[in-house]
Amino acid sequence: MSQLIWNGLFVGSFYALVALGYSMVYGVIKLLNFAHGDLYMLGAFSGFAMLGTMGGLVKSSSLVALFVVLILTMVATGLSGVVIERIAYRPLRGAPRLSLLLTAVGASFALEYGTRIVAGPNPKVYPVRLDGTALNVLGARVTWQQIALMSVSVVLMVALNVLITRTRQGRAMRAIALDPKACLLMGIDVDKVISRTFFIGSALAGAAGVMAGGYYGKIDFLMGFIIGLKAFTAAVIGGIGNIPGTMLGGLLLGLLESFGTHFVGGQWRDVFAFGFLILFLTVRPTGLLGERVTERV
Amino acid sequence: MRKAALGVALAATALSASACGQGVLGGDSKKDKGPILLGMDIPLSGSSADIGPYMKNGAQLAIDELNAKGGVLGRKLQLRAEDDACDPKTAVAAANKLVAANVAVSVGGYCSGATLPTLPVFDRRKIPMIIPAANSTELVDQKLKHVFFVNGTGDQQAAAAMAWVTKSGAKKVAVVHDNTSYSKDIAVRTAAELDKPGGPDKATLEAVTPGESDYSANITNVLRSNPDFIYWTGYYQEGGLILRQLRQAGYKGKFMVGDGSVDAKLVKIAGGSTAEGAYATMTQTPDTIQGAENWIASYKQKFGAEPGPYSTQSYDAVRVAAEAIKKAGSTDGDKLVSALEGISGLQLFSGPLKFTPQHTLTSGGFVILVVKNGKFVLQDALK
Repeated sequence: MSQLIWNGLFVGSFYALVALGYSMVYGVIKLLNFAHGDLYMLGAFSGFAMLGTMGGLVKSSSLVALFVVLILTMVATGLSGVVIERIAYRPLRGAPRLSLLLTAVGASFALEYGTRIVAGPNPKVYPVRLDGTALNVLGARVTWQQIALMSVSVVLMVALNVLITRTRQGRAMRAIALDPKACLLMGIDVDKVISRTFFIGSALAGAAGVMAGGYYGKIDFLMGFIIGLKAFTAAVIGGIGNIPGTMLGGLLLGLLESFGTHFVGGQWRDVFAFGFLILFLTVRPTGLLGERVTERV
Repeated sequence: MRKAALGVALAATALSASACGQGVLGGDSKKDKGPILLGMDIPLSGSSADIGPYMKNGAQLAIDELNAKGGVLGRKLQLRAEDDACDPKTAVAAANKLVAANVAVSVGGYCSGATLPTLPVFDRRKIPMIIPAANSTELVDQKLKHVFFVNGTGDQQAAAAMAWVTKSGAKKVAVVHDNTSYSKDIAVRTAAELDKPGGPDKATLEAVTPGESDYSANITNVLRSNPDFIYWTGYYQEGGLILRQLRQAGYKGKFMVGDGSVDAKLVKIAGGSTAEGAYATMTQTPDTIQGAENWIASYKQKFGAEPGPYSTQSYDAVRVAAEAIKKAGSTDGDKLVSALEGISGLQLFSGPLKFTPQHTLTSGGFVILVVKNGKFVLQDALK
């Protein structure tokens, strides 16, 4: 049982990290950024490229190298997120919601198949692998690298929450979520704040990408699709636009999958997890913590 | 050696066939001039995008060799590859394109799930299919007149797996598949064999979702059944991850994969020496076939890369197609089918060819490989 819970929480923390970007962007400009999962993929690939160029340096101190690459990748994917927003979303900000949704799908395909052209269709294998000994915690098999990755996720999530609730930046974001026109009148540089939102969300997805690369080892140009879908689901379960709700949603989805596999079998897992989503939405359409409609980021 | 002798024979028949061929086929001059098109539906994008080029190159190699000897019926052969993305919808569109282009024979088909809906597309137009890779029993069960297989089928692979499981002395066997037509077919058949009284028992039959990274939940499930042998019947991308995660979860027993997982990348994805000692059920690959060195050398010279899985089968599919066209003396579908059914003893990589009434190979030619020093090498020929 404790193994099931641990498996669920570990996978869930990845979902949560990716889901946060989805949720933030939706909260601020009501856009479902379908390219978000692909930023996760882009993060994994840019991390791969950086580790490749560092070459011998990586071998001597792989954990430090991975950490440096994590930071650099966050900056790189963050900037790509900003560029995507500038090119694909900003010119359409006044357009109907459906056009935005379509450009988001377009941006997603452009990223996937652009990466395919640059890096090739074959899956790549990370040069650095996180290997560690396993501990026994309350009957669950837990490895050190899992603990390390989860700690990084938790730190990033807490930092994000502080940023949004305690800083001027965060206040500006929350204000835009409430009423962008009024913000503009009050002298807030809306474009700049939205850019920053994309930067932060994309950087988190990129971080998750590097961590997945280092932990699982295999990356490919379509890896963002499924996790994008899962992250979206997690965001909806938790209450899209709500940061703590999204984190909770990610963990809950991870647990649902883990328990679903256990109780109804591997082939029924997605039916179980997504069936639960449907049930959940009919009973509680705003998501777990979605009641704070007045203040969504 | 074998190839050289064959080449001479091919050239001789080609000459004689072309002489009378033109007389017989004089009627429809527009269709019968120019190159004979061979169509190929293969994955060039999507999750199996790396297999397509191997198959295309293998087929191209055979075509170039045949053309260098004057082609077939005095006409050159030409390959037309379309991307099926390993996706049923894309595959049907690709098959329709090939049909519209008037291909004489289809020599493609890798993912069984994507190949299945293309069968009626070709069959309806009486275009013979010689399928080099896709081998789910579901395809054979369609019992279509124009469909032939030059790869061992799912039940032949399951039988090979069972033979090795028994031989290696395993007691409890867990079978894991990815819910695709090809993978599930082998897994279910193997599980059915295990369920029979006597011999090793089935620990569990588990399905995973392909394309994900984390299989810990499935692995917890599998390990709960205490297997001492695990057989993965899906593709290498998930196979490598599953093997790695199994070992991380403390599994110490034996591990075996199906032919879709035989790829150097499996070893890399599993990482380090994790894959050492893993077995595989596999039809012959260039590097496990004795005496294929010349073939590998000419492949490398032409494409500047190592031949991969199914390059030999695709090469053979083209040769079988050429042989049938030659024997039939035309590209007419029905004549080709009877010519294909009549072929006896044409030397393929898997042995002399003779189609069964179900249009499959008489013997699947499956062997057991093992990972040694990071490479798949022959463990047991199951003879």
